[in-house]
Amino acid sequence: MIHLWFDKGTLLLKGEIGTPYGKWDPRVGCYRIKAMHYDDVLTYLEESRISYQDEVQKLPPLEPLKCSVALRPYQKEALTKWRHARMRGVLVLPTAAGKTYIALKAISLLKLQTLIVVPTLDLIDQWRKRVMECLNVEAGAVGGGENTVRMVTVSTYDSAYLQAELLGNKFMFIVFDEVHHLASPSYMQIAEMYIAPYRMGLTATYERSDERHALLPQLVGDLVYTVNVEELAGKHLSPYAYEKIYVKLTPKEQQTYDNQMAVFKSYLQEKGIVLKSAEDFQKFIMITGRDRRAREALLARNRALKVALNSDAKLSLLANQLEAHKDKRTLIFTLHNDLVYAISRKFLIPAVTYQTPKEERREILENFRSGKYGVIVTSQVLDEGVDVPEASVGFILSGTGSTREYVQRLGRLLRKVEGKQARLVEIVSKETAEVTISRRRRQKRTNEA
Amino acid sequence: MRLETVLPSELLVVWKRKGVIWPRYAKLSSDNLEAASGLIEVYKRHIGEKKGVLKEFVSELEDKGYDYRFVRGLSFLLDRRSVFKCSDKVDPIELRRKIYEATEKLGLPTTSEQRNRIIETVALEQKLTPEMVEGFFYADLGSELILEKFDVLPSHELLEEYNLSLTQTLLFGATELNFTASGNWQRIFYAIKRLGLIYEASRDGRFDVKIDGPASLFKLTRRYGTAMAKLLPVVIANPEWTVEAKILWEYTNEICDFKIESWRHRAILKKPQLPTVSYDSSVEEDFAQRFQALKSGWLLKREPDPILAGKQVIIPDFSLDREGITVYIEVVGFWTVEYLMRKIEKLKKVNVNMLVIVNEGLACGKLADLERHPQLNIIYYRDRVPLPPILRHLEEAFRRVQAKQEDLLVGLPMIFTEPVVNYEEFAARIGVSVEAVRKALTEKAPTGYTVMGNCLVRKDKLEQIRKKIEEQTSRTGRLPLFVAVKIVETEGLEDAYGTIETLGYKIFWHGISTEKAEVIKPENKNM
Repeated sequence: MIHLWFDKGTLLLKGEIGTPYGKWDPRVGCYRIKAMHYDDVLTYLEESRISYQDEVQKLPPLEPLKCSVALRPYQKEALTKWRHARMRGVLVLPTAAGKTYIALKAISLLKLQTLIVVPTLDLIDQWRKRVMECLNVEAGAVGGGENTVRMVTVSTYDSAYLQAELLGNKFMFIVFDEVHHLASPSYMQIAEMYIAPYRMGLTATYERSDERHALLPQLVGDLVYTVNVEELAGKHLSPYAYEKIYVKLTPKEQQTYDNQMAVFKSYLQEKGIVLKSAEDFQKFIMITGRDRRAREALLARNRALKVALNSDAKLSLLANQLEAHKDKRTLIFTLHNDLVYAISRKFLIPAVTYQTPKEERREILENFRSGKYGVIVTSQVLDEGVDVPEASVGFILSGTGSTREYVQRLGRLLRKVEGKQARLVEIVSKETAEVTISRRRRQKRTNEA
Repeated sequence: MRLETVLPSELLVVWKRKGVIWPRYAKLSSDNLEAASGLIEVYKRHIGEKKGVLKEFVSELEDKGYDYRFVRGLSFLLDRRSVFKCSDKVDPIELRRKIYEATEKLGLPTTSEQRNRIIETVALEQKLTPEMVEGFFYADLGSELILEKFDVLPSHELLEEYNLSLTQTLLFGATELNFTASGNWQRIFYAIKRLGLIYEASRDGRFDVKIDGPASLFKLTRRYGTAMAKLLPVVIANPEWTVEAKILWEYTNEICDFKIESWRHRAILKKPQLPTVSYDSSVEEDFAQRFQALKSGWLLKREPDPILAGKQVIIPDFSLDREGITVYIEVVGFWTVEYLMRKIEKLKKVNVNMLVIVNEGLACGKLADLERHPQLNIIYYRDRVPLPPILRHLEEAFRRVQAKQEDLLVGLPMIFTEPVVNYEEFAARIGVSVEAVRKALTEKAPTGYTVMGNCLVRKDKLEQIRKKIEEQTSRTGRLPLFVAVKIVETEGLEDAYGTIETLGYKIFWHGISTEKAEVIKPENKNM
């Protein structure tokens, strides 16, 4: 008799046969199989008419679900495509197009133990709320100090990765929210170490600059459905306007900027270093550990950029803009925490950064949603996922050159509310490197979103 | 085994050359010691000040010719010894809530007058000054926290701790770990199991262990690096060790070798403090104490060296040694038949004498199933481990080995040339027990030898001794005992009284003092 059981994120098979998926493990004297091949192995054994004893699954009890989700036509289409692909695959939809509802509907159809993997703690809260609203069942949570496994459980990528040995055999369906994260070298092990035969990936930004998204088909399934912002804008998403406003650095700022940038550039020139790609830059950072002058050059560049990104001129312009949009629900995005706190202090408005205590953060977001707070300022932490349907104006004071970050920030404003016209404003320092950074982030936008 | 004092990866500093990698350890040089004591001094001086101010001084040190990652690494470790606190006069979260509410009520301030008005309103409401409102606005923010306490340490210890942290941070990227150590095995293997790692042990002179994880079979993965970093302190808490690892260096995507050895690195690495060995259960402790009190001749040892069973190891709770015979003891509390079966499987691979002491009350399987397994010597207990059956088992084991040895000795041709054959030395030389030697030689003394207490004595040697004593007694017919003893002992015999009496002399005791005792020549000197 063949015995199959789960061992710390893998499957062990004891018996007189091997399988195409297994590999002999001399350390334990059994065949060892990646957990992701669980379904394949069972199919193989059954087709070969080999009887086996399966002790793999340790599933939490099923709970009755009551689904109250009505899908829009494009959501229905996405779900159908996924079902036709053996309930595996990635769906690409713009932020605010209601990806969550497609996943919830899928859960209600499968009625199986489900793990939903999300990038942030805020998203755990949000998904749990949605599960309660739409499926009428309480969801468990793993991450952020909580550890309850239920029929529907929400986890962060971090916890799902770290606890794969314990959680890998507890779910039959797994939903990866913001699935582009899954392709990283460590997170991809979540896909490998969980047995769930049914898988769904959701994202607005499928492609990764490191090309690793090519791994997603084997981890989650093929890209089965794509729809972009333009197709949905107006009807299902709020129409939006984009605007870029340039500000001039104050003379003193401009002088500091020029001086510091000169230090950086002359060092590169002297050493014949060309920085074209992210990899070039990473190598340069490595040099700064050994070479003090390289480090000084890097610090000079950082100081220059900081002046450009955090210019006083931007803050005065922001003051005018805020004045002009006084009763609109507004989000302000920056790159650095320093600037978040400077803005929070200047305008006496709530700030959300990764340093914000969890409870306070919940409270601020809740108050922003309910309309008690009209404006909040945040660094990168809110780029992903947090739902604020009523937010209609966004200011980008600084950011990286990443297209993803741009798309995600835009997505915060696009949730459809009747009569809402979203407006995204970028404030950029003139005659600085920031101009290029800003251009870079919008470059590939149309073909990605 | 917490990792809170391990440096974040951006502070890891390494040398890498030709596929070999090692952390750039901070030597205990005067330069480095100066940097360390400088930093410690900065922390000491900033008790009661803001963290932001403290960190400015730290960054100043970065610019004094040290690698900034070194300085930040030390500072990171000092942060762990510090208590940063927010002033408890005002709750900043509550204060912020009031400020935000005031902003909503009075409107978002775009001029400084509007802003001042809001601050003043909140100040009035909270019974604070406007300056205090500004001061406490973000008083709980990292850089605004106040250094309340700092646990000082000597600068060399800071460097040693830094070096240990560097090593652990490097191990985060390990795909495989190989080590050997001089002891502490029970703890090491317990940690390996608890950390979800897989080991393969081998013995080639020294005891080597290779570590990776379940998924390592499919591809090189850094997944188990963190667990390996956690294992490191348990290994290097020993006096002797060697640790080797394969590091997957992400920046260049290459595999590098890493190696540290106790004789070279012990001096610069902090020696981890492990809690002293406590017994797993009071049952074991009770057994050990009572057994030792028996003075049975068996030497009891806690946590003996591992027994190799294939690539796996068995580490019994106790070993009992007597004259080269070893019996192992394992005390099992909670158990199932399957558990004991697995134990049998493992034991089948090795040829050791193992006694399993099983708690009868905590059995969760049918005892009868086990009785059919003669390989397993099971003794049941309820509250305390019973000593008599254990002693019986030990006696039996001893007798069995002894009988085997006697058989062996009977077959051996006993030809001696030396004047005195000491049983103990002889037994040790040929690797059998003293009892077996005694039995074999007493029953059938080799020709030309006489049995004399714990040894055989060549007859001509005995004759020599007799002559010497006779010379001394020839005049008076008697001799002080101590003189006779001296004569015998000079000739290399231990049992002086026995020898004297064997030679036909009599010892007369005048009271209990040996000084007054005498040796008397008998009338008929018959041997």
